[in-house]
Amino acid sequence: MIALRKLNLWKRLRHHLNIWAVLSLISIIIIIVPSLLIAIEFFAEPNHNWTHIKEYLLQEYIYNSIVLLLFTALATIVIGVSLAWLVTMYKFPLRNILKWGLILPLAIPPYIGAYTYHGIFNYTGIVQVNLRNTFEITVNQSYFNIMTIPGAIFIFTIFLYPYVYTITRSFYQFQSSSLIENARLLGSNSIETFFRIGLPISRVAIVGSVTLVVLEVLNDYGVASYFGIQTFSTAIFRTWYGMQDIDSALKLAGALMLIVILILILEKFLRGRKRYSFSSTKVRPIQPQQLKGWKAFLVFFYCFGVFVIACIIPILQLLQWAYITYEKIYSNEFINLIYQSILVASIASSIIVLGSLVIANYTRLYRGALTKIISRVTTLGYSIPGAAIAIAVITVFLAIDRYLTSISDILSVDPIFVFRTSLVMLIVAYIIRFLAIGYNSIESGFEKVGNTFTEASRMLGYSTVKTFFKIDIPLVRGAIFSGFILVFVDILKELPLTLFLQPFNFATLATQAFKYANDEMVHEAALASLLIIFISGISIYFFHRILDKEPR
Amino acid sequence: MKKSLKVMALTMLTASLLVTGCGKTTTTQTPPVEESKSAGVVNLYTSRHYESDRQLYDAFTEQTGIVVNVVEGKGDELLERLKTEADQTEADLFLTADAGNMHVASEAGLFQPVNNDVIFANIPDKYRADNNEWFGIAKRARVIVYAKDRVNPADLSTYEALTEPQWKGKVVARTSTNMYNMSLLASFIEVKGEQASLDWAKGLVANFARDPKGNDRDQAKAIVAGEADVTIMNTYYIGAMLNSKDTEEVKVAESVGIFFPNQDTTGTHVNISGIGVTKHAKNVENATKFIEFLSSEQAQQQFASTNHEYPVNPKVEPSDYIKSWGTFKEQNIDLSALGKNQQQAIKLFDQAGWK
Repeated sequence: MIALRKLNLWKRLRHHLNIWAVLSLISIIIIIVPSLLIAIEFFAEPNHNWTHIKEYLLQEYIYNSIVLLLFTALATIVIGVSLAWLVTMYKFPLRNILKWGLILPLAIPPYIGAYTYHGIFNYTGIVQVNLRNTFEITVNQSYFNIMTIPGAIFIFTIFLYPYVYTITRSFYQFQSSSLIENARLLGSNSIETFFRIGLPISRVAIVGSVTLVVLEVLNDYGVASYFGIQTFSTAIFRTWYGMQDIDSALKLAGALMLIVILILILEKFLRGRKRYSFSSTKVRPIQPQQLKGWKAFLVFFYCFGVFVIACIIPILQLLQWAYITYEKIYSNEFINLIYQSILVASIASSIIVLGSLVIANYTRLYRGALTKIISRVTTLGYSIPGAAIAIAVITVFLAIDRYLTSISDILSVDPIFVFRTSLVMLIVAYIIRFLAIGYNSIESGFEKVGNTFTEASRMLGYSTVKTFFKIDIPLVRGAIFSGFILVFVDILKELPLTLFLQPFNFATLATQAFKYANDEMVHEAALASLLIIFISGISIYFFHRILDKEPR
Repeated sequence: MKKSLKVMALTMLTASLLVTGCGKTTTTQTPPVEESKSAGVVNLYTSRHYESDRQLYDAFTEQTGIVVNVVEGKGDELLERLKTEADQTEADLFLTADAGNMHVASEAGLFQPVNNDVIFANIPDKYRADNNEWFGIAKRARVIVYAKDRVNPADLSTYEALTEPQWKGKVVARTSTNMYNMSLLASFIEVKGEQASLDWAKGLVANFARDPKGNDRDQAKAIVAGEADVTIMNTYYIGAMLNSKDTEEVKVAESVGIFFPNQDTTGTHVNISGIGVTKHAKNVENATKFIEFLSSEQAQQQFASTNHEYPVNPKVEPSDYIKSWGTFKEQNIDLSALGKNQQQAIKLFDQAGWK
């Protein structure tokens, strides 16, 4: 019966195969071009610089990158999962604020966090100044030095753990209530419940979210270069710009891509074959237990402590810096900066969400080799170093411009549109880079809803397109909105692509903050940084609201 | 009730997106096109992002009516962008704070020569390329900075002397990925050859008090904090720290001394901010006017007074504050060498283990 229904459905869907397939393919081609460029270069003959890199540097790059990845992954899992569990399972003081406050550090780009924390702890920072001037204590500088590998792990952990926290928490809240409540009824104590039920069942969520963290760390340039830690990303720039050797740089980029692809395969493997769809249309959230006495205090102390370190302290420091430099820095230009930042981020996010919807819907309805490839390729962009994307994008658009110019020359008219000086270039680059984020959110949205509603709708006579608008979109609207916000926040923080592809007289809050920080004017960078955090913070609040209300 | 709120928020967001989305293409596209019909434009790629520079652009527009369109980025990235754009570039000028980058751009065939007597009169031979493809517009000196309370400047002499055993564990430096350090070592390669430069780098690494990290300001702070006694950094940052809004940074700047090394030998290392007209510039005349303006006494005065840099125009005196550091003998090399030896410098740093 089921097989027959599927066969029938399949036949009818075939008619529409082309529209969805073509749209998906177009999006995919945009992403594949730069990846191919890098892949080809990876297998090219090595030159003399490559020998130098191998002899003096490669070992250190690999070692540093692995140490950073491993410990950041572990620390984000410990903090992210424990917070998610505590916030879901228990009631304690300030829980309702912390529930979404703990997502907020996602609004602080790690490079801004890095220079803020360095500013707090260095010789002229608030901590040492007070020790020195108020208490007359001279300290050993090496205790206050955070520009080390452990320091970088600290920075990455406190600003990236929200990925793990958010995704795991939404899983606990909506997916696992029956399992957890049964465990409670059967007399497990809370620690047992966590290790025997909570941890195993949330494997998919944890692995998926840690993968995001790992990819962020791997692609980071800001923190590593500011702290003087040699990683793959910093090495790519050093080879490219310093040695003027684009071939070796692309080789390094290729190696980085290979690592990312391995991680993604590992992720699929660790996730296993488990799929969780709703078993009914009613999803009941878990009921938290009231904590009392020292237990309540301990849990509160831990959660609030993380919140203070990852959010309150850096923001207070930035506020103080903004206060002392406000007069010098503020101008009407800032309004324009805010406008431009929000504008490009919104446009790119909207396109990404639309594209993700089309691709996710296509890959889910037509399972096969092609769709599998398509769904994997969307994540490729996330694995390519920003600079490589930038070069690939600019190369393609220059070719298009050249073509357009030659046409308009023949017709002897002025070119209608010049891509290379427009925002189109930048937005396309954003799409390549962040499609993975939007797609993952929407894909998991579809995955949770399952195909049964769609199949029912098709059975009852709606076309695929009509089903898409009437049934599918409303069902996954939470995933759509949260995908949009995640991408939006990421673009607001984005740096390398924006710096490289910006048109004339264009700047975003991120590039503004970077410019000052890069010129060693950290205090002057505070205002732009705060605005990024503020705007992202508002978006994240909305994200939390959706997450809390929608069964995801 | 809550649901309708959410729907409202959603629609409002999308609506605002659509509105702003439509407005975008027209607003960002028009300025260059529109302006080119009136007094003209000049399109600049720059890695200098100072408020004072922006004031200079405004002053230029006021004098000439030529609008300056700017892309601000990192020097090496802008260079890469110029290379990629090749004949399709919209940039007329490339300005960056390192002579090495200027040379690399020139070698890559990205510039065209400018033969202009006003510029020649303003900028001495020494600070411009032999082929007149680029021009220095401001100088910075990379000097020895020492702790006033612990170091007797009489004990300081040359960059080379810092590798001696008496400075063991008393030197800090920033990483070798930094352009200023690359150019410093590139200048040494020019002055005394590869082997001696490698030995110097190795010797300094052996005297490091800690792994290289942080920026120039961090080196000064490390000195005052007592992590080490001496470092190598740009004078420019000492000036910036003295004018910081943070009183603690001012204290740091006041606690260190500036020493111009190699006065009896090869001279102190000097780097320039340079500018060149791109090969495929569409507004060559305006670009030339812009360089004329930057090298003029008025603009040079501004570099000296508000940005703590040394002017290149001999008619302009450094600011009183900079003069208080004293005058000094500069390295006597062709600044193109900073670019020519850059790759070699990076490799020597790696061999010496300078992170």
